[in-house]
Amino acid sequence: MKSLVCLKQVPDTETQIKVKPDGTGIVTDGIKYVINPYDEFSVEEALRLKEKFKAGEVVILTVGPDRCTEAIRTALAMGADRGIHVNDESLNDADPYSIAQVLAAAASQEGYDLIFCGHRAIDDDFGEVGAMLAELLQLPQVTLVTKLEIADDTQSAVVERDVEGGKEVIEVPLPCVLTSQKGLNEPRYASLPGIMKAKKKKIDKKTAADLGITSERKLAPTEYTMPPERKAGKKYEDMEPAEAAKIVVEALRSEAKVI
Amino acid sequence: MANLLIDERDMKFVLYEQLNIEELCESQHYAEFSREMFDMVLDAATKLAEKELAPTNADGDQKGVVLENGEVKVPESFHRAYQLYCEGGWAALPVSEEHGGQGFPLSIYGATTELFVAANQALLMYPGLTVGAARLIEKYGTEAQQRTYMDNMYAGVWAGTMCLTEPQAGSDVGALRTKAVKNSDGTYSITGNKIFISAGDHDLTENIIHMVLARVEGAPPGTKGISIFIVPKKRIEGEELVDNDVTTMAIEKKLGIHASATCALNFGEKDNCIGYLLGEENQGMRIMFNMMNEARLAVGYQGLGQASAAYMYALRYAKDRFQGPEISTMKDPVAPKVPIIQHPDVRRMLMWMKSVTEGIRGLLYFASYCGDRIHAAKTDEEAAKYQGFLDILIPVCKSYSSDMGFRVTELAVQIHGGYGYCREYPVEQFLRDCKIASIYEGTNGIQALDLVGRKLGVGQGLLFKSIAAETGNLLKNAKKNFRLKDIVEPFDEARAQLIEVTRYFGLKSITEDFMTPILYATPYQDLFGDVAVGFMLLWQAVIADRRLEELYGDAKADTPEKKAELLRTNRSAAFYRGKVASAEFFANTVLSLAKGKARAIMSGERSAIDLPEESFALF
Repeated sequence: MKSLVCLKQVPDTETQIKVKPDGTGIVTDGIKYVINPYDEFSVEEALRLKEKFKAGEVVILTVGPDRCTEAIRTALAMGADRGIHVNDESLNDADPYSIAQVLAAAASQEGYDLIFCGHRAIDDDFGEVGAMLAELLQLPQVTLVTKLEIADDTQSAVVERDVEGGKEVIEVPLPCVLTSQKGLNEPRYASLPGIMKAKKKKIDKKTAADLGITSERKLAPTEYTMPPERKAGKKYEDMEPAEAAKIVVEALRSEAKVI
Repeated sequence: MANLLIDERDMKFVLYEQLNIEELCESQHYAEFSREMFDMVLDAATKLAEKELAPTNADGDQKGVVLENGEVKVPESFHRAYQLYCEGGWAALPVSEEHGGQGFPLSIYGATTELFVAANQALLMYPGLTVGAARLIEKYGTEAQQRTYMDNMYAGVWAGTMCLTEPQAGSDVGALRTKAVKNSDGTYSITGNKIFISAGDHDLTENIIHMVLARVEGAPPGTKGISIFIVPKKRIEGEELVDNDVTTMAIEKKLGIHASATCALNFGEKDNCIGYLLGEENQGMRIMFNMMNEARLAVGYQGLGQASAAYMYALRYAKDRFQGPEISTMKDPVAPKVPIIQHPDVRRMLMWMKSVTEGIRGLLYFASYCGDRIHAAKTDEEAAKYQGFLDILIPVCKSYSSDMGFRVTELAVQIHGGYGYCREYPVEQFLRDCKIASIYEGTNGIQALDLVGRKLGVGQGLLFKSIAAETGNLLKNAKKNFRLKDIVEPFDEARAQLIEVTRYFGLKSITEDFMTPILYATPYQDLFGDVAVGFMLLWQAVIADRRLEELYGDAKADTPEKKAELLRTNRSAAFYRGKVASAEFFANTVLSLAKGKARAIMSGERSAIDLPEESFALF
């Protein structure tokens, strides 16, 4: 079972994001970066498959600047076998389509039984790359995966995915693209022996040219702004509860226009 | 604020910018490491501490340990956290590869220790004691003892303890009565009672290896006749683990670290307790002393860890809690309420907590780093220099971190007001858990005696001279920076006061008045700590000031307004500004007291000694 795990490095969820004064992006200085949590589920699932079938490989595939090496190494410390790091200036603020193009090109060079993506990245929340990648590679895809059973002959998989109000169970032939959702598993922690081993594992560096692609972006940001600050609430004090309720309902209807 | 255990930016600042530990990787000893690996270790430790260890801290405090049918049980939630800690290999982080560890620098171990202790001090007692015990076997054990015990202990499969204290032998270890009688097969039969044994019994591991101080029959009295034994809870007979007649009589109900089992243990109630000699007979104290530096530093880290978490929680609370209007609009009843961080008294408390916590962090990491420099040293002379720093700083690290760490937790409670006194908020637990650090592993009074009675005297003041010279160099360096000129003076003055008091002690110790240095050993240790921590902050300020100027330069921030704007938008600039402020604040509000503290010591005031006991109070 050879799994390609597409992994993105993102700002830690608890980092306070600041927008650059000129609105061209966010302030990256002093940000702590982590592996996108949904990609961590992917790494864990791929490792479990390798352990279960006692064969195969887990390859980490990342697009991003130099700092992403740490995220790849962390996945290697969890147990992945090697990494591919596409590091190209032209891709530094690429849109989902360009990223999907790069991943598709790299995946085609590499070969795979399964490709994992997080169902979305917690930084820009697009949630498009996995679907686009499957289309570009003309592979079947199952999104928002919460459970995965690979058939013993490794030709197909039975997959559970989140749907509104329940679960959907789908059988899918391999190779395919799966996008991971919370609940799929509980990712392991990188251990010290794992970190020691990770430093000897290989990370292939590639540029867009190595993959024979030039990015064709479909989206370009025009401006970044912080959400408007929440306005102070209104208080209805010093009145009978019944009267207050009446006034509040009226205000919700005519002022706030929410009911 | 990414995590509430430690200011990660400051942790990395001390490691990489102050101590420049990357340089260690150039030495053969640490050649296989790199900054990238250190970062990965720190990130992995942060994650484990935040996600697994910290969430069990309050639960451990509330449930505590229980003794049922002679067996101690830790809180249920501890099992998973302990398991993950061991599986990650964290206990053996600095242990050499040949002994089953990873051989990371002690400075990295220090940083991870601070994190883990900040997350859960009680839980960390178990692996902490285990590593301490295993270290002794690593150094003095036979090959067979290492394979049988040490390997399992570093892996966390078995745990360990240190059994020194007895009811009549606390600080006075020499008074111990536990007896060892040699058997014909070379083993010893152990009988005796030990109390206050941390991690003395629990259900985290299948076996516990006690390192027991005992007196072999006929050995000389006092510390000279003490031997040390490996006494497993279950001994190996053939392929099996059998009961070794170690019984838990009681567990203490304590102020803090409720989930750490503090046990009274009986050895050999049924005359069936076997011990295995470690090293040679009557070498027990010497062997144990080998562990002292490491163990005392570890306790210092407990003070730091609690201070660190307490500061982070207090800071968050002060930013979130609205109470009262801003002071200049105090008389206006409808003036908007502000978060309490805007009140000067709260700010002052936070500033004290910040500077002290950062200073202690600098000092402890530096002490750990000295250990690394000993390993990486190219010459014996270099190794001796760092060993000297370490030896004289250890009592200060242990006592100052635990005393000041406690005070930081106390202020965290104060900032939380009435809520801080309640269980609903975590800070009162930090305060209770922290208190033990000034008591065990040699009370802070014992540390002061070690500093004044032993360390100051080494090589006729050699250690002190060496550290005084080092601080002199720092000062010279700082004086070159005109922007720091206002704060350099208090450092200079405090250092001069410490040197003067040290000289005064030197003179007293060779006269009949040797009681004065003993009586004032603790205030001296406190002054020493002020100066040591102060110099760490000065060292940091020199670096931070340079970086801040670079950032101002890069951003062309050449007016106060532009600088203020940069501090608002640039995290690094804000951080460095905070570092310089820590040094300024400490210099002006703590070090400026050095003169008075020195005068108090050199008053030679003797009431405490001369007053008849009857006059202390009538009862």
